[in-house]
Amino acid sequence: MHFRKVNSISTTWAFLIAAMIAYLPANLYPVMTVVSFGKGQSDTIMSGVIYLFLHGDWPLALIVFVASVLVPLLKMLALAYLLISVQRRSHLRKQQRTRLYRIVELVGRWSMVDIFVVALLAALVQVGNLATIEPGVGAIAFTAVVILTMFAAMHFDPRLIWDKEENSDGVKATA
Amino acid sequence: MSQRHPSVTSYAALIACHECDTLSQIPALAPGRAARCRCCGCVLLRNPKGGLDRSIALYGAALILLLLANAFPFLTLEIQGRSEITNIFGASRALYNAGMGELAVVVFLTTILAPALLITSSLYVLLGVRSRRPLPGLRTALSWISQLQMWVMLDVFMLGVLVAFVKLGNMATMHIGISLFAFVGLILVSAAATAAFEPQLLWQQIGYRGGKQRAG
Repeated sequence: MHFRKVNSISTTWAFLIAAMIAYLPANLYPVMTVVSFGKGQSDTIMSGVIYLFLHGDWPLALIVFVASVLVPLLKMLALAYLLISVQRRSHLRKQQRTRLYRIVELVGRWSMVDIFVVALLAALVQVGNLATIEPGVGAIAFTAVVILTMFAAMHFDPRLIWDKEENSDGVKATA
Repeated sequence: MSQRHPSVTSYAALIACHECDTLSQIPALAPGRAARCRCCGCVLLRNPKGGLDRSIALYGAALILLLLANAFPFLTLEIQGRSEITNIFGASRALYNAGMGELAVVVFLTTILAPALLITSSLYVLLGVRSRRPLPGLRTALSWISQLQMWVMLDVFMLGVLVAFVKLGNMATMHIGISLFAFVGLILVSAAATAAFEPQLLWQQIGYRGGKQRAG
């Protein structure tokens, strides 16, 4: 038996809005800078994916694109939709909405992949003045997006989706 | 006195679904079976095959692999005769050295600390329940476990390793260290261990609050 999450809706909104704000710098600022032979080249999340498409193999690029571009965006949209539908006491597709929540909770951690790539590259490429890789400000903002949306998902209580039905049936929900 | 490690869940339980609050009477479950909520389809209770012993074996193996994975070099990179060796901890250290302490903490937490805590606390709870000893902090450890699971990102890190491999493949030669094999093993074994571990069953055996352990 689990207790209801306290202030679920407002806490989730708070984390979600914070994540949306951090989403802009996360995509505009570079996540890393490759300095080789004195020249610096910066990469944002998106340009990193494009580089993989052009120089790596496309299945991997597709996975990274889904994990670091699509997932954060869809996750924020999904959470906003869940919150709004709960606040409007929607009756529609309760099962699908519960499933949507389950997917959001499960899939969010995969967005961290880009941060791990930056960390690994920074750890490996420290070869004197030949080449170094430095993490950029975008990496912090991007991590903030991932962590904040994970907190938002944690604080959302899926039981809110089902609440109206129980009340209208006259069945008292006991926690 | 019934057998020490019952192969079916010992008694029927009344469970409120944690996703929609529907109350369900759960019958005794055969090994390998799971009960789902009839309202929202959420898994309410599982009875993993192999019982406590299998989870203890798997988490024990995971602990050994975790130590191996962190003790040896992970990847070696060679550019023009110079080589750079790193281990898993090296990823967070590099971020710290670059002045990104916050990121270093997150990476350290998700790749080293959370897995270590998850594995040790799972072993602690499992051994405590199996030996039927009221070890201190069993309930705290058990309540941590489900919170921790989300922050263990070994599989995500592995995908990161693949991407880093492809990105550096053009400019340098990469060598795989022993630790990478241990790491892949760790991911597989932890997945199996998570599948063999059902906190809900352990809660039933420890008892939710204050009380003594239930006699079998």
